[in-house]
Amino acid sequence: MSNGNDMGKDMRPDHGTPEEHREIAKVLAHASAPPAAAAAAARLIARIADEAQEQPTAKVLDFAPRPRPAARRVLRFAAALPLAASLALGVYLGAKGTLDFMLPAAITGGVAANEDLPDELGGVGEADAYAEENLS
Amino acid sequence: MTRDASAFRQMTDAGLLEAAAGGSHAAFAEIVERHFQPVYRLVWRMTGGAAEAEDIAQEAFVKLWKNPSQLREGAALRGWLMRVASNAVIDGSRKPRAGAIEDVPEPPDPMARPDAPLDRAQAQRLVDAAIAALPDRQRQALALVYFEGLSNIEAAGVMEVSVDAVESLLARARRSLKESLSAEWRDLIGGLAETGR
Repeated sequence: MSNGNDMGKDMRPDHGTPEEHREIAKVLAHASAPPAAAAAAARLIARIADEAQEQPTAKVLDFAPRPRPAARRVLRFAAALPLAASLALGVYLGAKGTLDFMLPAAITGGVAANEDLPDELGGVGEADAYAEENLS
Repeated sequence: MTRDASAFRQMTDAGLLEAAAGGSHAAFAEIVERHFQPVYRLVWRMTGGAAEAEDIAQEAFVKLWKNPSQLREGAALRGWLMRVASNAVIDGSRKPRAGAIEDVPEPPDPMARPDAPLDRAQAQRLVDAAIAALPDRQRQALALVYFEGLSNIEAAGVMEVSVDAVESLLARARRSLKESLSAEWRDLIGGLAETGR
C-alpha cells in the first residue's frame, strides 16, 4: 500500500471516472456510521461553561529606543563652513590663475592651454609643397 | 444586554465568533450546535470510531473558546475546527500507544468460506477494516470528500495542501480500497442492497 504521507511521490492527480466515483461511494456506504453526538455536544457546552477564556496578550512589544546623546549641530556647522569656504576660495583662485606658477607646466603651460596648435592638422595646407616636390 | 438563543441562530459564524470573543457562552453554544457534529464525524472516521474521538473533537472547540480571536475569518470556522481536530488525530497517531496492535480489530477473512454470501455485518466490517488500513492523510481526504461531502478545494483548505495533492490522495485511497476489497468488490457495489443480504 502506498504511503499517504509521501506527498512527493505520485503527485499527478487521478480524477477518476464517474463510474469509479459511483462504485467507491457504494462501497463506502457499507461503512459504519458514527453515533449521534448530541450528548457529546451537550457535554462540551457544559465544559465550556467552566472553562475560562485566555486574556488576549499583546503580541507586539512596545519598542523603547535606546537613549542616544543628542546630535551636536554646532560642531556639524563648524566642520562644514571651513570646507565650503575652502572650496569657494579654490574656485576663485583657479579662475583667476593667481596660483598657476605653483602648478606644473603640463597643466598650465602652452600645450595644456592649446596655444601652439597648428593651423592645419590634416596636412592639407602643405599639399602644394608636396606637389612641387613631386614635379621636380 | 444578553441575547436569546434564537437571536444567535440568525447570526453568521463571524458574528458568533465575535460574540464568543466577548465571552458569550450562548454564542459559543450556537457554534457548537452548528459545527460539532461534522467535526466529531470527521474525527470518528479518522480514528476508526475510537473512544477518544469525542475528546479530540471537544479539544478543538475548547481551543477555540479559550482564544476565539486566533481565528481571523469567521467564514472559515468549520474548516479551522476540522483542521485542528484532524491534526490532533494525526499527531496522536504518531505517538506510540501501549497495546496499539491489540487495539486493531482483526479483519474478517472472507476466504475462510469463499462460497458464503456476504451479509451486511460482514460488509461493514470489511469496509471499516479497509478504511482503517489507509494511511492517515488518505483516510482524512476520504472522510472529508466522500463522507462529509466537501469539494476537493474545501478539503485542500482543511488539509492545507494543494487541490492536486488532495486528488492524488483520493486516487491512492480508491486504489488501495479496490485492492484490499477486490474479492468482495462486486458484492459491495451491487449485490447487498438489492438482494437484501
